[in-house]
Amino acid sequence: MDSNLAAGLAMIGAIGPGIGLGIGFSKAMEAIGRNPEAAGTIFVPYILGLALTEAIGIYCFIISIILIFT
Amino acid sequence: MPEEGSKLIHVALKAERLFAIGPFEVTNSMVGALIAAVLLLAAAWYFTRSSSLIPTRMQSVIELPIELLAGIVTGTTSRWRGYVALVIGLFLMILVANWLGLLPGVGTIGLKGEVEGELIPLVRPAAADLNFTLGLAIVTFVVFVWWAIRLHGPVGYLKELAGEPRYMAPLMFPIHLISELSRLVSLSMRLFGNVFAGEILLATMLAGTTAVIFLVPLALFIPGMFLGLELLFGAVQALVFALLTMAYIILAIAEHGPNPSAEMDTGQLGSHA
Repeated sequence: MDSNLAAGLAMIGAIGPGIGLGIGFSKAMEAIGRNPEAAGTIFVPYILGLALTEAIGIYCFIISIILIFT
Repeated sequence: MPEEGSKLIHVALKAERLFAIGPFEVTNSMVGALIAAVLLLAAAWYFTRSSSLIPTRMQSVIELPIELLAGIVTGTTSRWRGYVALVIGLFLMILVANWLGLLPGVGTIGLKGEVEGELIPLVRPAAADLNFTLGLAIVTFVVFVWWAIRLHGPVGYLKELAGEPRYMAPLMFPIHLISELSRLVSLSMRLFGNVFAGEILLATMLAGTTAVIFLVPLALFIPGMFLGLELLFGAVQALVFALLTMAYIILAIAEHGPNPSAEMDTGQLGSHA
């Protein structure tokens, strides 16, 4: 029971990457809106930044899964 | 409806052992990685056996991801010959391993296990095992440390870690060291977390739709949606792993100092025509 509570509390850390991903995506959309031809150039660094930010959320998820199952 | 206290799905964090050859234990994710590697090697052998300069249809389809990734790597830096093969190889391996996990039968066909009578799948997606992703991350780590030491010398590499104003070295050196080591952890954890979470998501969605099984179209649509999501995420994670490898190697090769080489254009990650 305690581990389930701890696992739930561990996911509070996913707030940060959520906000970060939203801000990052909105900036990418803004950049594409200003310069639609640069969409190909923007795409690769955007995907890179997306994965780096999302990784933090994944760390939280892994900790919570470990708490539930061990 | 499941009764109180029972879990909806069974999730195994560790890959389950199938059999042992002497002291070496073979797990089901090893079988998954083996199948992915055999598929890749068979495709490579078959499509280079009769490759022509004017490609056939099948050949151009296979060349599509390779051209895409090679375009990104060669568009970023001019010294790409040393590692473009590694980057493309990593991308294809992780892509095939991830997409293999979406085939029917992977994760569902298995043996009856002794632990609580749970099912032990015969094949598990390779990247759903931390050992596989850690192995790939170690390869990347060794490669970029090796490149840095080869180009700048071991003393040069340590000087890079110490940072620019020499008096800041006691502070910057541990920070840089830990950030270099954390690349290992972050690469492996990112891929593992994404694929493992995708497995749990698919299992939960498939198990959860048993309540609406009388609405068959809806019950088929929801897991189908998540299967498509996993398709996309598997491809994105493969791309990200390969691109991060490329970025770390470029950062390791980059020459700092008063006269950086004119060929280095590390500020233009991703510019390809």
